Amino acid sequence: MVRSRKNGEVLVVSLSGEIDHCAADAMRGEIEALLKDTQVRRLIFNFEDVSFMDSSGVGMIIGRYKTMRARGGSVGACGLHPPVDRLFTLAGLHRIIAQEDAERQENA
Amino acid sequence: MNNRMELSFLPIAENEAFARMVISAFLMQLSPTMSMISEVRTAVSEAVTNAVVHAYDGERKGKIYLRATLMEQKVEIEVEDFGCGIADVAQAMTPFYTSKPDEERTGMGFSLMLSFMDGVQVTSSPGNGTLVKMTKLLHEEDLDAL
Repeated sequence: MVRSRKNGEVLVVSLSGEIDHCAADAMRGEIEALLKDTQVRRLIFNFEDVSFMDSSGVGMIIGRYKTMRARGGSVGACGLHPPVDRLFTLAGLHRIIAQEDAERQENA
Repeated sequence: MNNRMELSFLPIAENEAFARMVISAFLMQLSPTMSMISEVRTAVSEAVTNAVVHAYDGERKGKIYLRATLMEQKVEIEVEDFGCGIADVAQAMTPFYTSKPDEERTGMGFSLMLSFMDGVQVTSSPGNGTLVKMTKLLHEEDLDAL
């Protein structure tokens, strides 16, 4: 499931549930639709309510990173629980996606 | 504790979550730690996703088998399909190699299975299917005291 909140050029997308191949396919369409708004320059994924992610989720994140990079924008992430954080490390996602403070995103 | 389960299901994406639920439920009798369950769930998810996406290529027909055997010191898990098979297993297991880069596949599936399990063996024959055998050794720290 995808919830989103926009604040100027920043779009915070809160993901929830299990991000596998099945869920990633659905999320991809929803997030791309939100990114049709070309005002968005920074995309922040909130993983607080994500209980599981596998490599299909990683592919979906990298895909959105490419969308943002193509427009000169950037991507951040917050709320990484240990299993998701481990996947970020194994996939090298920390090198391209900066970690944000979850609480700051909540109060933004 | 010795125990064994076998399950078959259609190669559709919805069954990836189902397979993860089944393996978690089966391993519950070991009182495993969250971290061990998370590793096994990820490995099973990757193997089943490979079967759905690559072996049957989204055809929604055919069978995927999930088997698990509990032994004293280890768990053996098999994911078997009867789909297209893999011509070059070594290439398929190369980190970040994918035959479907245009579909946002990462090529990390086998790497994650290798990272999260203690052994991964892949037997495949083009046109006949693929068998992925994974072993997880049970260390005392992986099991919560009852």
